[in-house]
Order: sequence, then structure tokens, then C-alpha cells
Amino acid sequence: MTDDNAAQDAVVIERSFDAPVELIWRMWTEPEHFKAWYGPGGATVPVAKMDVRVGGSRLVCIQIATPDGPMRMWFTGQYREVVKDQRLVYTESFSDEHGNVLAPAELGMPDGHPTTTQVIVELEDLGARTKMVMTHAGVPAESPGAAGWMMALDKLAAYITAESRQ
Amino acid sequence: MTSVIDEERLSETFAALANSTRRAILARLAQGEANVNELAEPFDMTLPAISKHIKVLERAGLVARTHRAQYRPCILDPAPLAELSSWAEQYRPVWEARFERMDDYVTNLRPRRRTGRTR
Repeated sequence: MTDDNAAQDAVVIERSFDAPVELIWRMWTEPEHFKAWYGPGGATVPVAKMDVRVGGSRLVCIQIATPDGPMRMWFTGQYREVVKDQRLVYTESFSDEHGNVLAPAELGMPDGHPTTTQVIVELEDLGARTKMVMTHAGVPAESPGAAGWMMALDKLAAYITAESRQ
Repeated sequence: MTSVIDEERLSETFAALANSTRRAILARLAQGEANVNELAEPFDMTLPAISKHIKVLERAGLVARTHRAQYRPCILDPAPLAELSSWAEQYRPVWEARFERMDDYVTNLRPRRRTGRTR
């Protein structure tokens, strides 16, 4: 339950696409294309703002249909590395629609280590094909204002499990 | 081979938690069972509105209603939250499904570029 543990926790996925590297790069960096594939099953991506340059910000909305009507989740972050057709690194945190990161305190959590996550996309040009390695990992927050939704969930889960055992 | 079920359940859990009223209800239930009236107390909301929030939590498997007549208190079921604690592994099926869609999408963008290969 520390930032170190969170940072070690990662999902790494490697796969190849039957498309040139320039096209796969556009999948990640052009909102029109990004929206077409990014939403989890049954979800849509009504908003994808991307200022794709180092330090530029991003804001993505995922909309899920629920019986109560559409439920929107917002994610914000910054681009950390932008090397066209090769490497893209950006951070991600749960936020509101204005890109304000939601802090653990706002989730009713005790104060803790603010955490955000990071997505690393590495592309390799194989001619007509492209190899892609995507790493999604937790990273320690660098600014005091940054806070993590996932870490907050960890804490909520631990807190509630502990409470319910009593 | 990604599990659509897992992805949907993860989405449901997130959707249930993406609301401050519902998180407050969970925090209250972590202290012990409560009925709808008790859960509604701290909020400036109608009972039907609170009931709606509880139903969302029930669908996500986070809250169960006991069947003691009349009283029917809500109790907390933390199991879905425990599953979220290894967030990275929870994200794997989501990403895999995304990349399946990306693959389909880029294939459709370039329908005539196949080089004598058959599927």
C-alpha cells in the first residue's frame, strides 16, 4: 500500500498490427481515431482532448450506459515523452470534467500517498506491420496536487474490508 | 480471449464508485448495517433518490439487502473492491479489448492493402 508497490504493479501488453507505424501512432494521438477504439466494451468516448507535446495536457471522457442513464468518467494527464512513430508516454488520473484531479480526500479517504498512473506506448516499425508494447503502471506523484484514483480505491478496499471484519 | 464479463463488471464497479453520495453510503455501511432512512439522513435528498443510489450499488455487487421483514437493512459486500485492489491486472482485459478494436479499426481503414494473404 505504498507508492513503491503501486509503481511496481503494471500491465504490459505486446502485440503486432497489420498496419504501418505511422497509422498506429495516429491511433494514439489523433482524437478522431482514438475515440474509435479506446472506450471499454459498450462505452463511448465523447471527449478526447489531446495536446500531444511534452508537457501538453489530455482530457478523456468515457461514457458508460447504465439503467439510470449515461455515466461519465473523466481522466486527465500530461504527455511526458513524445517521439513520433516511436514512443509516447503520458500520465493519467481520475478527474472531473474540467481536468481537476480528484484527490483521495474528496473520495472520503484518509490522507495518503497521492498517485497517478502512466501509460507508455513503444512502437517498432516492421515495414507494413508494427509491433507495439503498451505498459500501464502506477507512478509516484511528482506534484503535491496530483492524486490517484487507483490508490484511493486500494485504500477504500482495504478500509472497508477491515471495517467489515470487525 | 478477453473476458467481456470482467470488463463489464469493472466498468460497473467504477460507475458505482464515481459518485460522492454512493461513496459516502459505502463509508457509512462500513461502520455497520443501516436501512434506507438511516442512510438518507446525512443527505439533502429524497428517499427515492437515495434508493436509486443504493440500487446502483446493489447492481455492482457492493451492497446487499437482507430479507428481514420490514426493516431490510443494507449491508456492505467489499468483494468487488478487493478485486480492484490489483488495479493493473484488472486493467489487462480492458486494454486487450481496446487493442482488438484498434486492430479491427486499422484493418477497416486499409481494406485493400492485403498482400495475397488469406485469413
